[in-house]
Amino acid sequence: MRVLLVEDDPMIGKSVQQGLRQDGHTADWLRDGQQAELALATTPYDILLLDLGLPGRSGLDVLTRLRRSANSIPVLVITARDAIADRIRGLDAGADDYLVKPFDLDELSARMRAVQRRHAGRAEPVIENGPLRMNPATHELTLDGTPVTLSAREFALLQALLEQPGVPLSRARLEEKLYGWGDEIESNAVEVYIHSLRRKLGAEQIKNIRGVGYLVPRLP
Amino acid sequence: MRSIRRQLLFALLAAITLTTLLGALATYRTARAEANAMFDYQLRQLALSFRDQALQNAHIRDLASNDDAQDFSIQIWRPDGTRIYLSHPGKELPHHAPLGFATIDTGKGKWRAFGLQQGGQTIQVAQPLQARDELALAAALRTVAPFLPMLPMLGVLIWVVVGRGLRPLDAVARAMTTRTPVALDPLPENRVPTEVVPLVRSLNDLLARLKRALDAQREFIADAAHELRTPLAALSLQLQLAERATDAAARGDAFGELERGLERATHCVQQLLTLARQEPGGGDRPLTPVNLDDLVAKVVADQLPLAEARQIDLGVTPAARALTVSGDAEALHILVSNLVGNAIRYTPPGGKVDVAVGDDALGTFVEVNDSGPGIPPEERERVFDRFYRRAQTDEPGSGLGLAIVRTIAERHRASVLLDAADLGGLRARVRFGGSTAS
Repeated sequence: MRVLLVEDDPMIGKSVQQGLRQDGHTADWLRDGQQAELALATTPYDILLLDLGLPGRSGLDVLTRLRRSANSIPVLVITARDAIADRIRGLDAGADDYLVKPFDLDELSARMRAVQRRHAGRAEPVIENGPLRMNPATHELTLDGTPVTLSAREFALLQALLEQPGVPLSRARLEEKLYGWGDEIESNAVEVYIHSLRRKLGAEQIKNIRGVGYLVPRLP
Repeated sequence: MRSIRRQLLFALLAAITLTTLLGALATYRTARAEANAMFDYQLRQLALSFRDQALQNAHIRDLASNDDAQDFSIQIWRPDGTRIYLSHPGKELPHHAPLGFATIDTGKGKWRAFGLQQGGQTIQVAQPLQARDELALAAALRTVAPFLPMLPMLGVLIWVVVGRGLRPLDAVARAMTTRTPVALDPLPENRVPTEVVPLVRSLNDLLARLKRALDAQREFIADAAHELRTPLAALSLQLQLAERATDAAARGDAFGELERGLERATHCVQQLLTLARQEPGGGDRPLTPVNLDDLVAKVVADQLPLAEARQIDLGVTPAARALTVSGDAEALHILVSNLVGNAIRYTPPGGKVDVAVGDDALGTFVEVNDSGPGIPPEERERVFDRFYRRAQTDEPGSGLGLAIVRTIAERHRASVLLDAADLGGLRARVRFGGSTAS
């Protein structure tokens, strides 16, 4: 998942970013609300992790303005204030879930997956499409019941495609999902990962529409 | 314990008794004077009636015996001095007879006598003074008598009345006992007697101040707990990353981060403690004369490693003459350290930090100038707020440094002013009011 993390505390921000990367996400980290708004306007993120206690424009402000502009990106609010009123304010402002500091990285990942799942309209944690069965929580993929080992980037790419079966994603869009700012993008990385995935899963699992992008055909 | 009720009871009873006794004394004196006048008149009348009847000697005996009850004694002397008549032979009577009224001491009691001469004979009528005293005393006792049995009743009455009068105090005391640290409502001021109003007012004043102090304390604790959560959250994340690390290099990095996180949490707690100690009532230490140049030199020496690590040119502009302020040396060291530390940490590498000591018409001052980014005027007051951290600061901090500076300054009746420095950054000036040059 491409994640935008907005957290003003350098230590927490750095740690969460690192943790997210270890979990195979692409995480960008910003430290104030204004920059966050700018990034949200220009980059398609899968989820926003928003600290409410931001200096300058508060997290609650960012969230309210985001929802007012009809942006429905899943938002997970992180707060150090554990008063119920604070949590209610966050949820009412349009957050999908919240996490109170200090929190566990694994819990963060689980909540991100849950939010992502609900957002995609799925209740069950496992994505199934034809012979493919993907569990984002455990990073497990099976093809006709046989486990397939994927690298973190391969997994992320396949997940992006499996989230919306039948919908083609452009190369640029896939690159955005794989790379954060500052990451060096290898020129034909997407092709390399697609090639590798096809080799492991069979070419028919990922189709290429020339000039449009890649897609996983929707299967029952 | 002293009791107003008991005190009033005894004082009032004593006052009433004393007044009654004084009244009795006055009655005694008046009665005595009246008895004197009356008995003197009787003595004279008796003596005169004797003079008229003495001519008929035969009647004297009857006459005298009639007057037995009156305890008057009558003596009659011939011109040659022989007593020819004595009404009460058993009594010790005056042996001589001055003419007119006289008070005679016979050695066995005082007598009041009236003497007159008639045809060569001397007639004296005498009466013991004791009779008069008894009469006066009886009068005085009659005055006092009704009061004595009334005293216990009065006591009970006073006890009850005073108790009733003091009841508002009980009410105030009861109202006070229902006040708790969470419910410090003021006591009602209406329906309180005028005498108790000042007490209630001052109690309400105290309650209000207590409430303010407690509210501030509660707010501070809430803030502190919140602020401690952030470094703890960072620590917990850093620890998880360390646990996840698969190779030695990653683990080393993770532990490095963890260590920095721990340092920061420790610093945060340290700052909280410092602030608590510098708050009024946090164990005030005595004020001693502190030489500002020495103080600044010590702080700069302490901060030099940090300045060098950050490539900051740290220097001092000493005062033209030795300047001393009366203060808590340790607290002032913390104050200047925080200012110098801030200047070093917020000034970009290659910059300059200058600490100056001086005095002018307004007093003695210590100022820290830097070539850093400064603080915009609209934020120069807010940065003193506890836990206030400016946006976009990379420096990990507790947000308490300047709050500590201000608290210490206030304890020393000094002011802290932030404005633009000649070096281009921030100038923090601490101005001491009551300072002396030495």
